Amino acid sequence: MTATIALLGQPNSGKSTVFNALTGLRQHVGNWPGKTVEKKEGTFLHDGKEYAVADLPGSYSLTANSDEEEITREFISSGKADVVCILADSSQLERSLFMMADYAGINVPSFLVLNMADVAEDQGKKIDAKALEDKLGIPVIQLSATENKKYDMFFEAMNRAIENKSLINISGLKTELEKIEGFTKLEELIPDGSIENYSALWLSAKAIENDRLVIDKLKNTLAPDVIKEVDGIRGAGGGAVSTGNSKFAWIDELLAGVLQKKDDQVKLGKLDRMYLSPVWGKPAVILTILFGLIGSFIPALPFMGLGQAIGGLKAPIAEALFSAGVSEILITVICNVVLQSFSYILQMLGFVFGVVLVFGLLEEVGVMARISYVFDNSMAKLGLQGKSVMPFLISFGCTMGGAAGTRVIDNWGQKVLTIALAWAVPCGAAWSVIPMLASLFFGPGAVLVIIAILLTMVLHMWITAKIFGRKLVKTGERYGMIMELPPYHKPKWGALFRYVLGRTKDTFFRVSKVVLLVCFLFWALSYSFVPGTDPILFKIGKVIEPVTKVFGMGWQLFMAFIASSVGKEGALGVISALFNDGSFYSAFSDAMSGAGVAADLNEVLLSNVTKPEALAFIFAITFNMPCVVALAATYQETASAKWTAKIAAYYTVGALVLSTIVYHIGLLIW
Amino acid sequence: MESNRMNRLIELLGDGHARTIRMLADELNTTESDVMRQIDYLEHIRVIRKVIGDGAPGNGCASGCGGSCGGSCNGCPSGGGNMCKSCMPDGGFKNMGQMWELVK
Ligand SMILES: Nc1nc2c(ncn2[C@@H]2O[C@H](COP(=O)(O)OP(=O)(O)O)[C@@H](O)[C@H]2O)c(=O)[nH]1
Ligand SMILES: [Mg+2]
Repeated sequence: MTATIALLGQPNSGKSTVFNALTGLRQHVGNWPGKTVEKKEGTFLHDGKEYAVADLPGSYSLTANSDEEEITREFISSGKADVVCILADSSQLERSLFMMADYAGINVPSFLVLNMADVAEDQGKKIDAKALEDKLGIPVIQLSATENKKYDMFFEAMNRAIENKSLINISGLKTELEKIEGFTKLEELIPDGSIENYSALWLSAKAIENDRLVIDKLKNTLAPDVIKEVDGIRGAGGGAVSTGNSKFAWIDELLAGVLQKKDDQVKLGKLDRMYLSPVWGKPAVILTILFGLIGSFIPALPFMGLGQAIGGLKAPIAEALFSAGVSEILITVICNVVLQSFSYILQMLGFVFGVVLVFGLLEEVGVMARISYVFDNSMAKLGLQGKSVMPFLISFGCTMGGAAGTRVIDNWGQKVLTIALAWAVPCGAAWSVIPMLASLFFGPGAVLVIIAILLTMVLHMWITAKIFGRKLVKTGERYGMIMELPPYHKPKWGALFRYVLGRTKDTFFRVSKVVLLVCFLFWALSYSFVPGTDPILFKIGKVIEPVTKVFGMGWQLFMAFIASSVGKEGALGVISALFNDGSFYSAFSDAMSGAGVAADLNEVLLSNVTKPEALAFIFAITFNMPCVVALAATYQETASAKWTAKIAAYYTVGALVLSTIVYHIGLLIW
Repeated sequence: MESNRMNRLIELLGDGHARTIRMLADELNTTESDVMRQIDYLEHIRVIRKVIGDGAPGNGCASGCGGSCGGSCNGCPSGGGNMCKSCMPDGGFKNMGQMWELVK
């Protein structure tokens, strides 16, 4: 074996590509002893001489933070490699030269490969490898590991590094590091070569970085009083932040005159100037959401028509079944449970489609990410950290998801408060049931209802934060955040529609099950199996109605409200069961008489529920507890039955208070 | 690069506001790519952390649910302050960009 070469570089710098190109099939893959990190070794022939090569595990740096880093360091420092090939990504040298900077000061010969030359060229970057070589004192070449068939330059650099035992010229790095307080003193205390192949400079830097292995080794090597002094300097040295500063400063110095690139500061786009503006950001985001929700009505309209058409089938089907001699009960089940339910489900499905499409679009274009930035300071007003905005945004889709999303919040009080507030955000199911009911009752006025609901949501969250916040969050420090906003994309319409259709289909099956079940249950309870007697539900209804009227709801709507605690679609099941054209007989006789056909089932609802009642009901179910699944998720995340119960009770009472208020406002209007 | 720029970045975060990479670059008088490499480094030395790690199952997050995630997220300790993207609830949004916060 002529020499052993180790490939060192950050992940994705091209180590394995080079390794495979060099070794071809002459490689062996195993595990590093005692570690689950892959070990790749191989051999290659060049000029009739055999070389061994090791593909070291990729890691960010050489600090002993992970198995990968420890293995890499141990391999190099123990002298297993005769030469180290350091790989960097030419397309982002400022970043990827860090590995080289972290390696500098290790006394093992090396050469530098600036890989991905093709990518850098595409970006219009010009790199002067020779100039860098002069500065660094080790061979430096550019390479496109995936494109180059011949590795002549590589072998040439490798051989020069081996022959000259070329070490990185660290004088520039030294100058930078010695700006750190006490660094020079540290270099004196830790003699060169005291540990393996490490220079005093390298060991001193790692000592400041609190590198566990280096500190242990120093303890075994240096006298106790020296260690004490070293520890004192380390404590004041500013840790890895200050050595990092020095290394980056050195990299920039190296790249001056070596790297030429176009100005990479792109101008802020029009959209971002608006969304990220301190003044216009919030209005812009709110209007975007609002117009999105209103826009979601458009695809809903054809579904509304379809659903109503199904409702219209009731009479002819009842007639046909009757003439076929089907039993009365079965006919009512088919017509008043199944057909009626599907009529509502289909009317709702259009809104599911619309809402999923709108949010999917906002998300894909990149607007959702901007929303989290825009509302950061609103979170502060609610006493929350900026990252709480994520669970809120998720809650627009699903409250359960929002509750689970609070896992990113480590302060328990903040987490509970975030969940409590997330409940006020109408979820995907609400955004389909509610616009549907609203357009049923108010036609184009539904838009105003949506606006009112959004405003109420904000108010609700504010009040809830005031009520719960006092106990849950202490006004403490807020931690700043960095957000990397994704660039705006053009939506991929095909993928988006597939996603939206998938979601709509899933919702259809899930909702159908719930609505049919609830509708059947309530139908059964409201059906007079014994002619002449009041069904049980009517009896209960009559009893509770004086109370429910206070909240602006008849007993039927009140029961739908209760069902909405299970899930918003449960309310549809109840409405479907309790508001139909009375008995099967009337449907049937209407059909027989041929006149008027059976009353449109939407009309049945409209003639039985006044507008103030409808509005009260819409608000009640919107701000009721989201669903049982969200309740369970809340318990799971807060791990507190007490707080889960508190929040649930608060929302139930809150919804009824809200409906009372809305009802009275409604009475003033109509 | 000014020799104490990363300290200034950390200081800026101390005021509790959210900033985009672009804003940090403007405030620190540098480029976005310079800010990105500092973020990379600060994350590596655990001064800041990703709010939602991009750990694919088994890949492991920066902290919190390390490798223990392994596909299912039940191993994710609640309150780790960090969760894997793969542990994000259904209905969580994609394309949300990335967020980092200071580690206390
Ligand atoms: N365009 C381009 N891609 C490259 C080059 N070298 C490697 N790659 C690609 O970069 C990715 C990462 O390379 P890999 O060798 O696995 O990196 P490692 O993590 O350091 O082992 C792979 O998809 C390679 O195909 C190059 O010179 N140019
Ligand atoms: Mg590799």
